[in-house]
Amino acid sequence: MDTQFMVSLSIILATFALYIGIAVYNKARATSDFYVAGRGVPPVFNGMAIGADWMSAASFIGMAGTIMLLGYDGLAYIMGWTGGYLLLTFLLAPQLRKYGRYTVPEFIGDRYDSHTARVIAAVCTIIISFTYSIGQLSGSGVVIGRLFEIDAKLGTMIGVVLIAFYAAFGGMKGITWTQVAQYVVLIIAYLIPVIFMSLQLTNSPLPWLSYGELVGKMGELDRELGISEYFAPFTNGTKWQFLALMFTLMCGTAGLPHVIVRFYTVSTMKAARWSGAWALLFIGLLYLSAPAYAAFSRFILMTKIAGSEITNLPAWTKSWIDTGKLQLADGNGDGVLQWNELIISNDIVVMATPEIANLGVFVIGLVAAGAMAAALSTAGGLMIAISSSFAHDIFYRVWKPDATEKTRLSVARWSIVIATLLAGLIALNPPGAITQIVAWAFAIATGTFFPALVLGVWWKRSNSQGVIAGLLVGLAVTLGYIFAAKYGGFTILGIIDTGAGVFGAAAAFLTNIAVSLATPAPSQKLQEEVLDLRYPEQMTYKNGDVWMNTDESAKL
Amino acid sequence: MKKIEKAVADQYFREKNRYMVLYLIIWFCVSFGAVLLAEPLSHISLGGFPFHYFMGAQGSVVTFIILLFINAKVGDMIDKKYGIDEARNVKLSEGKTVDH
Repeated sequence: MDTQFMVSLSIILATFALYIGIAVYNKARATSDFYVAGRGVPPVFNGMAIGADWMSAASFIGMAGTIMLLGYDGLAYIMGWTGGYLLLTFLLAPQLRKYGRYTVPEFIGDRYDSHTARVIAAVCTIIISFTYSIGQLSGSGVVIGRLFEIDAKLGTMIGVVLIAFYAAFGGMKGITWTQVAQYVVLIIAYLIPVIFMSLQLTNSPLPWLSYGELVGKMGELDRELGISEYFAPFTNGTKWQFLALMFTLMCGTAGLPHVIVRFYTVSTMKAARWSGAWALLFIGLLYLSAPAYAAFSRFILMTKIAGSEITNLPAWTKSWIDTGKLQLADGNGDGVLQWNELIISNDIVVMATPEIANLGVFVIGLVAAGAMAAALSTAGGLMIAISSSFAHDIFYRVWKPDATEKTRLSVARWSIVIATLLAGLIALNPPGAITQIVAWAFAIATGTFFPALVLGVWWKRSNSQGVIAGLLVGLAVTLGYIFAAKYGGFTILGIIDTGAGVFGAAAAFLTNIAVSLATPAPSQKLQEEVLDLRYPEQMTYKNGDVWMNTDESAKL
Repeated sequence: MKKIEKAVADQYFREKNRYMVLYLIIWFCVSFGAVLLAEPLSHISLGGFPFHYFMGAQGSVVTFIILLFINAKVGDMIDKKYGIDEARNVKLSEGKTVDH
């Protein structure tokens, strides 16, 4: 364990040094650099940064375990978290880029010409990002705690200091390039163990092609054990819950402020299209591998661990039993560990599998570094979203419009430090499981921003009264359903709290449309600005006509 | 600045939307459609996978990625057809950045 500790520590410190080095090197100097990296990040790299921003501790640490335990039903996360990129790239990203504002609340405030809508949107952004970041911080606490064999709370505090440091001092530019590095670290850390396990179990270096036969084999093993087959659909919830969860995750993806803001860092609508495509390619690498990871882990546990003598279990089991995330009890007292006597938490599958499969100290250390990259990069993006909502949308646009650039930058930095500390404080005693908290954040984004943004971009008749009512109703219905389903046992068609977004989105769309139609249309200028989003930058909609900019100097 | 015929401008918008609707139909079929038909699809096998599992774990994701790249490429081709110059777009969007 001492060698393991030293190796893991060195790999993590080396990667941290790299991230901090990049952040310091890019230390932002001007406000526009701080928020959107000067709008010049090339699509391929922006795609990687979106990938790192996107793939959080929940994706990296939790997802394969969730699929392993839920079987087919866990695939709602795979389809939901990738399919949302189509909604984002088709319906929102290029149009929002052409509108050319710094943040999502700013788009809502200016598009609907309402300070009330702006403030509500800023508050929603803070709620969503803050909820999400609690999960990230407590995830990083688990990794640091497990790795250095210190209390998870202490691990969380170390994570807080790191995030506050580089988010506050690097700004978005630091974060963009830091996240490119983090993507590379986390994807290598994820793929290496999957490929090694594939070689061990199937003699093929391509896990994506080789794990199919294991899925089939496990179905046979399950039938022998008399439990439902690994791939049998809808064994853990209704079909409607699967569909509702998938819908919520997809629309939440398209409505998450910290992901949308990434598309403001590209130069044009065309670059936004390409960024979306590259992002999903880079994200897809991990999401295509997670079910393979899950299948290999389950197969190893079923065939190599289950069936061993209870007194003669491998050494790795002890350290995980100590964390309370793994339970092995010889229930029927026959001295042999049966499959149903093994209870493993979905949060440790990715972390424990390299040890289970005996992949060596280097791989184990690398996986820990990758998990840290996933947690830190997402938390960094979330902190930028929170600080820009507060410092830019509330402080500068509403509260103190005459504030100097220096004041605004310092308010932005302090809001990152304070938000990180607050989130860290709550992460010490998280209010629910990490995946649960993350799913709530998605449900809230689905119920608030997704309808407001889609109607804002695609329907010129939508007005400020409509969006204010829509945001408030969507938020209330989503939160109401989450609480009713979780604590009141109230469900419709078996849809539980994680699928709440489907009701929030429906209510918000209907409210926005009904209230908009019942109140006067927005001004001619606002409607023209919406029609202008149909066309690329070179085409402008003005006074009922479309104009092509052919001026050689290209100045408006 | 040169005025564009209303019909041409509408045509541009419609052409883009037609492709988008097509992509979204495919998107819906491979995700929601495959889930709705999960039970019947589970009797088909592909490379060891039951087909519904394959669609959830790989088929849908790969389709999504391909659709996004097709969208990016087709979008570029439509822009070219209507004489849009990306270099000018870059310059214009620099100018359009809100000055705070």
